[in-house]
Amino acid sequence: MTSLELPEVSSPHFSTQATYDGKLIRVHLAGNADLHAKDALESLLTRLHAEIQRLGASEVTVDLHDLEFMNSSCFKSFVSWISAVQDLNADKQYRIRFLSNPAMLWQRRSLHALKCFAIDLIQIEQ
Amino acid sequence: MHGKEAYVELKFCPNVELIHVVRRFVSNFYERLLADADATSRLALATHELLENAVKFASDGESTIRIGVTKERGLSHVTIRTWNRSSAENIATIEKMVDEMSAAQDLFAYYQTVMRKNAKKREGSRLGLARICAEAEMAIDCQIFQDEVCIMARTQVRTESPS
Repeated sequence: MTSLELPEVSSPHFSTQATYDGKLIRVHLAGNADLHAKDALESLLTRLHAEIQRLGASEVTVDLHDLEFMNSSCFKSFVSWISAVQDLNADKQYRIRFLSNPAMLWQRRSLHALKCFAIDLIQIEQ
Repeated sequence: MHGKEAYVELKFCPNVELIHVVRRFVSNFYERLLADADATSRLALATHELLENAVKFASDGESTIRIGVTKERGLSHVTIRTWNRSSAENIATIEKMVDEMSAAQDLFAYYQTVMRKNAKKREGSRLGLARICAEAEMAIDCQIFQDEVCIMARTQVRTESPS
C-alpha cells in the first residue's frame, strides 16, 4: 500500500490528522482554525490536493466534528482548494465529503456556502 | 432591561491569541441575553471576523470593540462596532466592499461572487465582511473619521413571542 505523505499539525489550538487505508483518505481537523492555523492549513490542503492526485483517489473525507471554529482566512483556504479541484480535467476531479458536527452551528452555514460554490464536488454529512 | 442597552466594550491590542478568548467571552454574553443558540453562533462568528479585521489592519496597534444589545417589543437589536486607525489603502478597500454589499440585491450571491473572485489570490481572504453579511445575516456599514474606521454590524433577534 502506498502511504499518504501529509504533515500533521499539532499546536495547542489547532491540530490535524490524516489517514489512508489504501482506499479512503480521511483528514480530521480539531480546535480553532484561526489566524494562527492559516499557514498550516493552507500548506496541508495544497499537499493534500497533490497527494490525492498522486494516489488517484476519487474521494476525500474531511472530518470537522471537533473543529470549534473556522475564520474567513481558513475558510478561504478551502475555497482555493475546491477551486483547484474544479480546475482539474473532469476525469481527475475528486469528491470532497465533509463530516460536520450539528452542535457547531457555524458549520451548517459555512458548509452550505462551500456546497453552493461547488455543488457537484461537495457532500455534507453529519 | 427593556429599552436599555446592555453592552460590553473592550479596548484591544493586536494580540491574535486573545481573539478566540474574546469570542468565547462574548458568546456567553449573547447566550445570556438572547437565549438563542443559532443567533449566538452567528454573532460570535461576526465578532470574531470583525476583531480579526481590526487587529490585522490597525495601524497603531489598538482597536476597540463595542457590542450592544437593546431589547424592545420582543426583538433584541444587536450592534457590533469596531474602531481602529488604518491606512488610506485599507480604508478605501473597506469602503468599496461596504458599498458593494449595500448595493447587492442578494447577499449570498454576492458572497459566492467574492469567494470565486478571491479563490486564486494568495494574499488575504477578503471574505470576512461578506461572510458576516451572508452567514451571520448582519447588515454592515462603516464610518470614516480621517484615518479612523468604524465598522458596524447590525441585526435583530426575536427574543420573545409577540403578544
